[in-house]
Amino acid sequence: MYLALREMRFAKTRYLLIMAIMLLVSFLVLFVTGLAGGLAYANASAVENMPATHFLMQQDASQRFARSIVGEKELNKARSVVGDANAQRLGVQMTTVTGGTDGMKTDITLFGVDMGSWLAPTVVSGSAVSNTGAGEVVVDRKLAEEGITVGSLLHDQTTGLTWTVSGFTENQSFSHTPAVFMNLSDWQQLKQQMAGRAAADPAFAAPFNAIAIQATDAEAELLSQQLEGTAIITKKQAVASIPGYKEEQGSLMMMISFLFVISAFVLAVFFYVITIQKTSQFGILKAIGTKTFYLARSVVAQALVLAAASLAVSCMLVAVMQAALPASMPFQLSPVTIGYTCLLFIAMSLLGSLVSVIQVARTDALDAIGRAAG
Amino acid sequence: MTATKLMLNEITRVYHDGDTELTVLNKLSLEVKAGELVAVMGPSGSGKSTFLSIAGALLTPTSGEVLIDGESLAGKNGQQLSKLRLHNIGFIFQSANLLPYLKVEEQLMLVAKLADMDKRAAQARSAMLLERLGLLHRRSAYPNQLSGGEKQRVAIARAWMNDPAILFADEPTASLDASRGQDVVAMLAREVKAEGKAAVMVTHDERVLHLCDRILHLKNGVLVSA
Ligand SMILES: Nc1ncnc2c1ncn2[C@@H]1O[C@H](COP(=O)(O)OP(=O)(O)O)[C@@H](O)[C@H]1O
Ligand SMILES: [Mg+2]
Repeated sequence: MYLALREMRFAKTRYLLIMAIMLLVSFLVLFVTGLAGGLAYANASAVENMPATHFLMQQDASQRFARSIVGEKELNKARSVVGDANAQRLGVQMTTVTGGTDGMKTDITLFGVDMGSWLAPTVVSGSAVSNTGAGEVVVDRKLAEEGITVGSLLHDQTTGLTWTVSGFTENQSFSHTPAVFMNLSDWQQLKQQMAGRAAADPAFAAPFNAIAIQATDAEAELLSQQLEGTAIITKKQAVASIPGYKEEQGSLMMMISFLFVISAFVLAVFFYVITIQKTSQFGILKAIGTKTFYLARSVVAQALVLAAASLAVSCMLVAVMQAALPASMPFQLSPVTIGYTCLLFIAMSLLGSLVSVIQVARTDALDAIGRAAG
Repeated sequence: MTATKLMLNEITRVYHDGDTELTVLNKLSLEVKAGELVAVMGPSGSGKSTFLSIAGALLTPTSGEVLIDGESLAGKNGQQLSKLRLHNIGFIFQSANLLPYLKVEEQLMLVAKLADMDKRAAQARSAMLLERLGLLHRRSAYPNQLSGGEKQRVAIARAWMNDPAILFADEPTASLDASRGQDVVAMLAREVKAEGKAAVMVTHDERVLHLCDRILHLKNGVLVSA
């Protein structure tokens, strides 16, 4: 560190400039990572926050809730394998409702669940919906921004049904729309309307889209062997199959990876150029008995100092920005994610300094003798 | 401490350049005793750099033996040679001797640090050397604030820092004008006497020869007295 720090002190401008670049890149990495996290959350939090481990869907549904239809037969089979409580009906239906202050139209996703089971949403304000109540729903807090309050009416465009908001839940979105939870009898009625049947036909068994399962991987495997025409997918797969999720996350991930590679390259080029410039210095240092290891460590230390300093500043900037961003902005960056991102960034910086380390190792102490500076 | 600081026994160095062999040093022998400043002269291409590199443990000879302060270099690996250079050999190069980003005092402290010298002892020694070379008032200056003569004097001070047995100088006055060149070599000679050490200097500069104890010429791969 003796040489590393003194050189940075001497050539301040040079190192500050490269730090500025590293700072911008690392800030962008953190920002895009936060954006990816926020978008992922807005896209899939309803599924991610479900305490299910697996979902049972129709085989040819491409793992998508909307395309899958399952019924009582599959449910009974699943319950016989994993236990009655561990397999629950799940209805998923995207629709458009009017409601709120100025009767604005809003896209929402309806979830039909057993309100007595572990699929029931956690209510943060207002009251929960029971399995016996009729026409009552628990909605995601995002709807409050549209002027929806407890007691508001949501009017479904497709079926003409109307539901009363009984309470709010939070962090429940599906494909960027707020989730609206109803009990299974309301779900039955919804499906009946959609199928064009007269109200309250007891003979009609409403299909649902998936069966949410709490099971070990071994049980899930067993179940998939026993049931034909269905697929058991993990929660992760279900999330990734939400329309737009993979595309959105994929392009953001590509940006992030590119930024990481860019940071490594920027450092690599910077250190390579200054290392080449310093070849004669390294020759002299080696001639007077400096170990290659010491010199290599010095280069690596500089890369580390640069990376750490720029990360520290960009973490502060991100914290400031996070506080300033409007709540509607999809931005989510947990300390753990920041930690991992920083570690990866530092690893990439080390990788970038490696080329120079090799260059330092190659420098011959003999260079010092018999060669004039010019 | 031995009286013989440097001993070269029948050193031969052959360069292979494709099919041709070039014998640059041919059974060259030399003994330098404590308190001696030896000048080595010779035209370009006569092998002065090769000689200095071998004597300075930077290059291994094709055959022959090198002893520094009584210790043979034969069979030592790169790390051991590097350590030996750090502790037993001082170098003064033609130019670009100093690290541009270290202050004068730090140039000396670096060497002490590399050698794990006690910090207090190092500071005392560095102050003493800078004082003797008339550089104490420049101790916080960067190399780009120093004159050519001052730079070479710092290089001399740095070379002495680890109390080496012998000092090698490669045309130390090449970038200096006549009077400054004289000053630098005079100080070098004085330090050799003061510390009871030895020094070998490759030079083209006729005007500094009177300060040397012996003048040798490199001819046909061996050293001959003038
Ligand atoms: N690495 C090398 N490979 C081949 N020939 C070399 C090498 N180094 C030096 N020589 C040759 O050895 C001779 C002596 O070189 P050198 O020791 O540099 O002489 P001087 O320093 O007196 O000019 C020159 O002819 C030079 O071309
Ligand atoms: Mg030469």
